[in-house]
Amino acid sequence: MINFNIAAWRAWAPGLDSVADWQAWSQQPRLLDASNSAPDVSFLPAMQRRRLSRLARMAFSVGWPLAEGLEALPLVFVSRHGETPRTFDILSDLGAGQPLSPTQFSLSVHNAVIGLWSIMRGETSEMTAVAAAGDGLEHGLIEACALLHEGAPAVLLVITEEQPPEAYARWIDDVPFPYAVGLLLTPGEQWQVSLSAAPPGAPRTRWPHALELLRHLLAGHTSFQHAWKSRVWNWHRTP
Amino acid sequence: MSDLNRDIKQLIIDALGLEDISVSDIGDEQTLFGEGLGLDSVDALELGLAIQKTYGIKIDADAKDTRNHFSNVASLAAFVTAKQAA
Repeated sequence: MINFNIAAWRAWAPGLDSVADWQAWSQQPRLLDASNSAPDVSFLPAMQRRRLSRLARMAFSVGWPLAEGLEALPLVFVSRHGETPRTFDILSDLGAGQPLSPTQFSLSVHNAVIGLWSIMRGETSEMTAVAAAGDGLEHGLIEACALLHEGAPAVLLVITEEQPPEAYARWIDDVPFPYAVGLLLTPGEQWQVSLSAAPPGAPRTRWPHALELLRHLLAGHTSFQHAWKSRVWNWHRTP
Repeated sequence: MSDLNRDIKQLIIDALGLEDISVSDIGDEQTLFGEGLGLDSVDALELGLAIQKTYGIKIDADAKDTRNHFSNVASLAAFVTAKQAA
């Protein structure tokens, strides 16, 4: 079992930015149009933000305000599918016998976002990029709790997914729309999460785990479960 | 401003995503990398690729004088002109 406090959270999806937006969505969850809208990252200098993909912009937009005023803040970055649009562009160039873009290539790797985060914030704390299955939220939490256990006063956990290019639609079925969720975690007993074996045929949650968590946080739920394949994550909040 | 200089400036803006900069903001003799425009090593690779694709020329990344050709827009224009004539 792991335990932690959620000191603050931020989230972004197309059209959903504020707590009020998320409150409305979580009462009546619906699919969102992926569109081309990207979150505002004008707090970054133009020369630094010009290369950021939407995935990176989403991660920065939820993470940056949570990191405000905190020095030496470890970061756990979670994304199952990563920069699928960049990967697809690179593979398309390769297929057409075209030379590859060095920018696309260098920013397509899974730890590119934490590398940019480190450079732009001058942050040298531990940072990890995790690609887990549909329960990346919980795997990221284990990583974050290990850092808290080692003595970090706070850990930033960012979960984000980009809408994959159409060509991947047959294989990627767990990204209803682009989203990012940032959690500022601190040591404490507020939340406990334990793992147990899932009964055969345990249903998946309707929405990705990070978005389900937001719904529970906003509704004030104190006990819920997230099942993924053979695993069930049992969430409990100390009243 | 010669047409080639103007084209190269536009190429720099497009290839490197310099959204908030226009052709008139870049001087012919302005240093592109480090100082001046403030481009970095990834930009150098990206710009090299864009120049090769656009003008159909080959750039030897290891050649000693490649760095000099990339110092500003005027030197790049001279390099492209010379390569295309060769």
